[in-house]
Amino acid sequence: MTETTTRRQSLWSKAAWKLRRDRFGMLGLAVVAAYFLAAVGVWLGLWATGWGDVAGGKWEAPSAAHWFGTNLIGQDIFQRSIYSISTAFEIGLVVAVLSTLLGAVLGAVAGFFSGRATDELVVWLMGVLDSIPFYLLVAAIAFALEGNPWSMHVAMISTFWITTARLVRGEVIKLKGLEFVEAAHAIGVPEYTIIFRHILPNTFHILLVQSTITFVAAIKSEVILSFLGLGVKDGMSWGLMISESTFEVLAGFFNNFLAASVLMFGLVMAFSIFSDALQDALDPRQVS
Amino acid sequence: MEVLQYSLRRLASGIPLLLGVTFISFLLMVYFGPDQTYQLLGKNPTAEQIAEIRAQLGYDQPFLVRYADYLREVATLDFGNSNSTGELVTDLLGRTIPVSLMLILPGFVLGNLLALLLALLAAHYRSRWPDKGIMAFSVTGMSISYLIVIIAFQVIFSSSSGLGWFPVRGWNVHSFAEYLEYVTVPTLATVFVALGYNTRFYRSVIVEELNRDHVRTARAFGVPPAKLLYRNVLKNCLIPIITRVVFTIPLIVISGALLVETYFGIPGVGKVTFDAITTGDQPVLKAVVGLTAVLFVLAQLLTDILYRAVDPRVSLS
Repeated sequence: MTETTTRRQSLWSKAAWKLRRDRFGMLGLAVVAAYFLAAVGVWLGLWATGWGDVAGGKWEAPSAAHWFGTNLIGQDIFQRSIYSISTAFEIGLVVAVLSTLLGAVLGAVAGFFSGRATDELVVWLMGVLDSIPFYLLVAAIAFALEGNPWSMHVAMISTFWITTARLVRGEVIKLKGLEFVEAAHAIGVPEYTIIFRHILPNTFHILLVQSTITFVAAIKSEVILSFLGLGVKDGMSWGLMISESTFEVLAGFFNNFLAASVLMFGLVMAFSIFSDALQDALDPRQVS
Repeated sequence: MEVLQYSLRRLASGIPLLLGVTFISFLLMVYFGPDQTYQLLGKNPTAEQIAEIRAQLGYDQPFLVRYADYLREVATLDFGNSNSTGELVTDLLGRTIPVSLMLILPGFVLGNLLALLLALLAAHYRSRWPDKGIMAFSVTGMSISYLIVIIAFQVIFSSSSGLGWFPVRGWNVHSFAEYLEYVTVPTLATVFVALGYNTRFYRSVIVEELNRDHVRTARAFGVPPAKLLYRNVLKNCLIPIITRVVFTIPLIVISGALLVETYFGIPGVGKVTFDAITTGDQPVLKAVVGLTAVLFVLAQLLTDILYRAVDPRVSLS
C-alpha cells in the first residue's frame, strides 16, 4: 500500500470524506457560513449600523427603504434582525467554547481519577447543578452578579459543561485502560501530561460535536432568557425582538416577530443538521 | 423488606446531593440575592430601624448560622411567611403547585406517549419515507424556540387575528369546561416542542435495541412486527425511557411551566418562584429550593426501584 492510500485511511480524513458526501450536512454548513459572513459584516461595521436609529414611522409596512418594515418607535426591523445575527454568534461562540473547555478539563480529570475523591467531587457537582432548575439558576446568577452583562453567559456555561463532562469522563475511563496510557505510565510521563497530552486529544470528536450542540442550545436559551428579562442587556438580539413583539402580535403586527423567528429558525435548523452530519461522520458506531 | 432497606440506604446517600443543592442555591439566591431591607422600611429610617429589619430578615447573622437555620427549616418544613404577600409559604405552595401540575401534566403525558408512538413508527419504517417524515418533523420542532411556538399558537388559536377559539391569557378555572379552555393552547405548545426532542431520543433508543441479536432471532422465528416492537423491543428500552421521564418530573413540578405561566399570566409555582428570585423573597425561595432537592433525591430512588421492577437483572444492593 502506498503512502497516500494509508493516509486516506486515517480516521479524520475518513470522517471529512463522509461529511463531504452528506448533502444535507453540507447544505447546513453553507447556510451557517452565510450567517457567519453576515455576522462578520456587522462586527466590521459594514452593514446594520443603523439598528438603533429611528428612521421611520410606527409599524410601517415593508418597503424599499425598510425591507421588513419598522417597529413601534420606527426603527428598521431588517437592520435589527441582521445585527442580532452577530449577537447570536457572539453568545453561541463564547458559551460553546468555554463550556466545552470546562467540560473537557473537568470530565478528563474526573475520568482519569475515577473512583477517587476528585472524581466523586466532580460527579457530585454535576448532580447538584443538574438538580437546580435551569431558569432559576440563571435568574439567581443574574441577580448575584447584579446586572453584569455577562451573567447570562456565566449561567449558561455553568450548566452546559455538564453534558460534555459526562461524555468525556466516560470516554476517558475507557481510554485510560488502553496500552498507550500504560506505556506512558511505564516511561514515567507525569499524570497531568498523560491526561491532557495523551488522553484528551482522543476525545476531540466528542468535544467537536458537543460544542456544536452547545452553540445551538445557547442561541435558543438566549431567546427565552431575554424574554424573561435575564438575557441581553445592551445591544439587540432575536430574544429582545421577540419579547418586544409579544404585545404587537395581539394587535396584528407580525413583522418583528416573523423577522426574528424566521432568521433564528434558519440558523438553528442549519446548525443542527450540520451537527448531526458531523456526529454521523465522526462516530462509525452511531446508529442512523 | 429488601426494597425498604435499600430505599433507606439510598435516601441516606442522597444527603450529599441535598446539601449541595441547598448550599449552592442558598449562596446564590439568598446570600448574594437582592437585599430587601429598604423595601420593608418606611421613609427616612433611623439606624435602629434598619438594624431591626436586618435582624428580622436574618441579614446580621454569619453565613453558616443562616445556612444552618435554613437546613432546620427544610427539615421541619416550617418556612414562615412570604415577605411580599405575608402569606404562609406552605399555603402559597399548596395553592400554586396544583395549578402548575394541572397546566403541565396533560402536555407532559401526551408529549411522551405520542413521541413514543411516533418513535416506534419511525423505527419500524427505518430509512423509509415515514421515518424520514417523522424525523424531519422532529428536527423542525427542535429548531423552533419554545417561546416562538407559544406566541405563534396564541396568535393562531386565541387572538382576534387568528381563530379566536380560546381565552388569550389568564387562569379562571372553576369547572372542567373552563379548565379545557385555558389549558388547551399551552398544552398544544408544550406537546409540539416536547415531540421534537422526545421522538428523536426514543427513536435512537429503539433503533439501538432493534439492532440487537435477540431481536433478529425473534424476527427469524416469525414474531409479528407489532408484537416484536412491544415485547422484544419496547420492554427492553424501558430503562432509558424511565430515566428520562422520572427525572423530568421534579423540574416540571418546580419550573417546567415557568415560561408558559409567565406568558399566559397563570398563577403557578414557576411564576411565584421567579418573582421570589427577582424580589428577594427569601422564605419562598428557601422552600422551593429545598423542595426541588428533595424531589430529585426521591426521583433517583424511584428510578432505581423502577429499574428493578422492569429488569430483574438489576440488583438493589
